Amino acid sequence: MTNALELHDITKTYGEGDNMITALASATLAVASDEMIALIGPSGSGKTTLLSIAGGLLSPSSGQVIVGGKDISHASPSELTEVRRSTVGFVFQSVNLVPFLTARENLLLVDELRGSRGKQSRDRADRLLDELGLAKRLNNLPSQLSGGERQRVAIGRALMNEPALVLFDEPTSALDTHLGEQVMELIQSEVKGRGTAAIIITHDRRMTHWCDRTVTILDGHLQTDELATAG
Amino acid sequence: MFLAIREIKRAKVRFTLLVLAIGLLVFLVLFQIGLRDGLIGQFIGALRHQSAPVLVFDAQARKNIEGSRISPDAQAALAQVDGVGRIGPLGESTFTVSNPVSRAKSVEKDRLIDAVLFGYEITGPAAGLGAPTTLTKGRLPTGPNEGVASDRNRSEGFDIGDVVRIEPGGVEITVVGLARDINYSVSPTVFVSWDTFQAARKVRNPDATVVFPSVMVVEPVAGVSDARLVTNLSTVSGVVPLTRADAVAQSPGVASVSQSLNTVIGLLVITALMVIGLFILILTVQKSSSLTLMRAIGAHRRTLALSLLAQASMVVFAGVIAGAIMMALISPALNTLGVSFSFSQLGVVGVGAMIVGWIGSLAAVLRVLRIEPINATLPPGMQR
Repeated sequence: MTNALELHDITKTYGEGDNMITALASATLAVASDEMIALIGPSGSGKTTLLSIAGGLLSPSSGQVIVGGKDISHASPSELTEVRRSTVGFVFQSVNLVPFLTARENLLLVDELRGSRGKQSRDRADRLLDELGLAKRLNNLPSQLSGGERQRVAIGRALMNEPALVLFDEPTSALDTHLGEQVMELIQSEVKGRGTAAIIITHDRRMTHWCDRTVTILDGHLQTDELATAG
Repeated sequence: MFLAIREIKRAKVRFTLLVLAIGLLVFLVLFQIGLRDGLIGQFIGALRHQSAPVLVFDAQARKNIEGSRISPDAQAALAQVDGVGRIGPLGESTFTVSNPVSRAKSVEKDRLIDAVLFGYEITGPAAGLGAPTTLTKGRLPTGPNEGVASDRNRSEGFDIGDVVRIEPGGVEITVVGLARDINYSVSPTVFVSWDTFQAARKVRNPDATVVFPSVMVVEPVAGVSDARLVTNLSTVSGVVPLTRADAVAQSPGVASVSQSLNTVIGLLVITALMVIGLFILILTVQKSSSLTLMRAIGAHRRTLALSLLAQASMVVFAGVIAGAIMMALISPALNTLGVSFSFSQLGVVGVGAMIVGWIGSLAAVLRVLRIEPINATLPPGMQR
C-alpha cells in the first residue's frame, strides 16, 4: 500500500555561509495511508518547517518528498499549488476561515478553487458539517461561531477535498483542555473514519494519545519515534 | 467571481459607499463632458453639423468664419484644384431679427434679437453642400425665404411655422424645419438658401453689389480623401482649407474651452483612479490573511487576481450606473444650461471608468501576486 507521505533525508536551510541556519536536518519519515502521527517539539525545533514541506508549502533544500505517491521534491510553485488543492488538507494554527464566507461557503470554497461546484459539492459540505455537529450553523459567519466551532469548520474544510494527508498545526492551542480533547477526538474519528493519514503538531503531550505514534523533533532532527500508549 | 460576489454581499455598506463615490465621480465627468460638448455645440455646432467635409477660409480670418470672405478670384482658383468634386458658397452673418409670426405666446412681434444666418446652395451643382445634417423635424429649405432653425431656440420664435424677419423691415424667412445642435456663437441660428442669405445681406447693406461667401464648402471627387483634398487646396494662395473636424477644433475660443474643461475631466479621472485604487488596495490589505489562507489551500495567484479584478469591475460598473442615474435625474434641469447628456457619452465614460478601475486595481493585484502560501503557517502579525 502506498504511503501517504514519505520524507527521505530532507534538509532545509535558510541563508548562506556563516549566516546559514539549518531548520531541518536529514529528516526521514514515512506516514502510512491511514496513520495518525503526533509531531512534538519545542518552539523553533522545525515542526512547522517539516509540516510545510510535507504539505507543499515549502520546497526542501535537499532530499525527496513523496505525497500521495507523487514526488514533489522539485515541483514548480504551480504544481505545488495543485498538490495542496487536491492531495493535502490543512488546519492552520491561526487563520483558518475566510471571514466573509459562511461555514458552508468556507467548505465550498475548496471545491470552487478546483472548479467544481453544484449540488454534489453542497451535499458533501452539508454532510461534513453535519458529522462535525454544525448542521445548524451552516449559514453562520466565522464571527458568529465559537472557537471550537470555528476549529470544527476548519477540520471540515481540510477534509472537503478528500485528501490523502491532513496536516494539523497545533489545532488545540487556542482551546481549553476539555475542548481540546473534544477536537482531538473529532479529528481522530474523522481521519480514521476516512482512512486518511494525518500529522498533528502539538505542544501538549496530553493530546498525543489520540495518535498512532509520536515523533519528536529537536533542533531540526527527528529524535524519537514512539508508539502511542493510549487512544 | 464566487469570492467577489460573496464579499460584496457581506459588506454592503462598505461597497455601497464605494459605488456612490465612483457614481459621483462618473456624474462629475459626465457633467463636464456634457458642459464641454454643450458649450462647443452652442459656439460652433453649425459648422460641426453641416454636410461639407472641407471648408476653405480666408487666410486673414484666422479660421474665424465671421471674419472670412472668399474673393471671386479665390473661388475660381479653388474650383480648378485637383480632387475638387463639388464646391459651393457658405455664408454666415449675424442679423437683428423680429418675429412677426410665432407660436410662442411669450414672443412679442416687435421684440428684436440677434440671430445667425447660414446660406448654402439649394440648387445647382453644389446643391445641399453645407446643409444642416441633424434635422429633427420638418424639412430642409426648397426655395427662397425658407429656413431650418436651431431646435434649442424653438420656443424663442424659431419653431416650425414661425416667421423671422431681418430688420429693419427686410426679408422674411419661414421656419420649415428644426435641426439639433446647429447653433453658432450661442445665438439662434437659421440655415437658408444662398439666394435668401444674399438678400438678407443686402437688407443690411443696400449698396452692396455682390455678397462674398464667408467660406467655400468643398467635397472631394470619389477616391480622394478629405485630408488629401485639404493638401491640394493649400496650394491656392490666401486661403486656409480645413477638414470639418479641424475647422471645429481650431475655431477661435473652442480650443481654449476644450482645453480648460479637458483639464478638469483629466483631474477627475486621476481622482477616480486614486479612489478606486486606494479602496481596492485597502480591501486587499485588510483581507490579506484570507488571501494567504486561500493560496495555502490551493488557490492559484491568477484565480485571486482575477477575482479581485472581477470585484473591481462589478463595483465600477455599479458606479457608472449610479452616475448615469444621477445625471439622468438632474439632466432636465441642466438642459437649460446647455449641458447635453447622451448614451454615447455614457458608453465612453463607462468603458473609460472600467479601464480606470482595472488600472487602479493594479497595486492590489501586485500585492495579491506577492502573497506566499507559507505565510499561512505564521502566527497573526508575523505574516509577511
